[in-house]
Amino acid sequence: MLTRTPALYMSLEILAYPFLFLGLYFEVFMLLTFLSAPAKERRMRSAALHTPKVAIIVPCWNEQDTIGGTVASLLALDYPADKLQIVLVNDGSTDNTKAVMDSYIGNPQITVVHQENGGKHTAINHGIEIAEDAEFVGCLDADSFVAADALREMIPCFDKPEVAAATPAMSVFQPKNMLEKMQNAEYIIGIAARHALSAVNGIYVTPGPFSFYRRSIIESLGGFKHAHQAEDMEMALRIQRAGYEIENAPRARVYTKVPRSVPKLIKQRTRWTSGFLRNVMTDYRDLVGNPKYGILGLMVLPLGFVAIVGGAFLFIVAMSSLVLNLVRTYTLTDGIPLSYTLLPRFSLEWFYLPATFLLLTSLVVGILSVSLVLIGRHVSNTPASIVIGIIGYTFIYAFIAPFWLMRSMYDVLTGKRRAWR
Amino acid sequence: MSLATRNALLALAITVAIIGTIIAAINQLDRQRIAELDAIQAQLATDTLSIETQFALLENAPCADLTVGTDLTNEVSSLGDRLNVAESRLGNDNPEVLRLKKQYTLLQIRDYILAQRIADTCDVEPVTALYFYSNEAGACDSCDRASYALSYLRQTYPQLRVYTFDYNLDLGALKTLIAVEKVEERFPAFVIEGERSYGFTDVESFQELFPEDLFATTSTSSTPVR
Repeated sequence: MLTRTPALYMSLEILAYPFLFLGLYFEVFMLLTFLSAPAKERRMRSAALHTPKVAIIVPCWNEQDTIGGTVASLLALDYPADKLQIVLVNDGSTDNTKAVMDSYIGNPQITVVHQENGGKHTAINHGIEIAEDAEFVGCLDADSFVAADALREMIPCFDKPEVAAATPAMSVFQPKNMLEKMQNAEYIIGIAARHALSAVNGIYVTPGPFSFYRRSIIESLGGFKHAHQAEDMEMALRIQRAGYEIENAPRARVYTKVPRSVPKLIKQRTRWTSGFLRNVMTDYRDLVGNPKYGILGLMVLPLGFVAIVGGAFLFIVAMSSLVLNLVRTYTLTDGIPLSYTLLPRFSLEWFYLPATFLLLTSLVVGILSVSLVLIGRHVSNTPASIVIGIIGYTFIYAFIAPFWLMRSMYDVLTGKRRAWR
Repeated sequence: MSLATRNALLALAITVAIIGTIIAAINQLDRQRIAELDAIQAQLATDTLSIETQFALLENAPCADLTVGTDLTNEVSSLGDRLNVAESRLGNDNPEVLRLKKQYTLLQIRDYILAQRIADTCDVEPVTALYFYSNEAGACDSCDRASYALSYLRQTYPQLRVYTFDYNLDLGALKTLIAVEKVEERFPAFVIEGERSYGFTDVESFQELFPEDLFATTSTSSTPVR
């Protein structure tokens, strides 16, 4: 007896095809670029033997619990103490951060400054001003911790004078719960992505945890801006627009604390995503689709935009399809005992294999995503058990991410501004 | 050509190749399905012949030898399932699917007639239901529900014999059956124990169309759902 598949489901499925194609295309591009000679050269790069003068700015706002660990990891860096200045900038904290920071006064490597709350960008700029004789300045969020060799891995990125900034290999600090492990898998994909994109100068964000900058270029560009609460992204875009390059140090490991609850994660990602949309749609619109900016302009920024809109759109489509299916199943089985309805009906025979285009393409995209996680872990030597993270990232993340995507689009369209935390 | 341009073009070519491979694999699987159906077709021919032989034997054989063995074999009964899958994937206008569907329909009609004849001759009363559906758009909104309810009843009460027909199938024998049973073009249509009825509202009302003694002894079958 024929149980027909309504045409509506098919048309809903077709809506996913363009996004799947673009997702697959981007993953293939990343893998190809990973295998290219310039990426290999970057992986072969040795840690620096020379030690230029550097400063690391730690902007803090209410970080009394984590600042100690962050500073300890910086003091443990394998780098001459007289070449490494640590600048702790208290951005008007209202907790005990000031007292914790003051306990470092007297350490010759550490400079402690307090300022009225002016936002993260003002704290970083303040730190850069203080570190006036540093050739390179790095930022480190006060909830992040660096590996001892991270700085020496970072310095060779600046061998070419046109390199204005370099990004690290960022993963999650001691991930324990499922949400943290999922984010760790995502961050490790980010390691692979930034590593591959650095080979074609396609990096669009220099993340807060341990990105480094050539001080002279940052000064010539005018320092950090508020930039819709996405100062690290805005700086990266400004560097790209000015014609400089952004490098990546795949083994400069930094571990950062991440939101441990779904509402906090959604809040953080709403800030990131709306920051991306606002910067890309307003101040840096000229970069999008502009061949002058290469892969960044023609692929990374447009696909970033498509991923946000498409992710939210596909979620709505998937949920609509799910509701329609539930209604249809209810209608179909109404009056039939559940003992019959819930009887498993899968068959192992190949004849009944549900090999649809959507399923097979999604499978390929999933396999390539897992490959990127493995590549990210491999190139960065990140010590992480990622199986649970990958499972969670594959099957759970898709149900959470659409909420911050939709919230971000709502905020951008309505002009709504939210607090940092 | 820069590395970025080269990789962008190469990635496009590889992506198109992957998509093409997926489409080719799905098409190949569909072709294999057709081949599988062809194999079952050979079984169908044997079963049809078997039923015809039973017809001939019925003239002289004692009832005890004939009241068993008229059910479609397991292999053939699974053809209904497979035809459904093939029909939903390849479309109900696929010539191969149509050809097999006609043969299956023919077999069902033969089995139905034989069952009726055995019932008359040997004084047994199998409960039979003829079910007519339509695949034409908008012709039958409740056919899916009726199909599901019949699947449930057939599995729960194995003594129930259900014969399912696509009303619009272009097959002479089916048209004759429709004429003999005086089934109107209203869907879903049922002929249960010789009584015609149309439409499907709910399972409870539907069960009232069957003789009560069918539901008197509940026995659950492990027969796969067709």
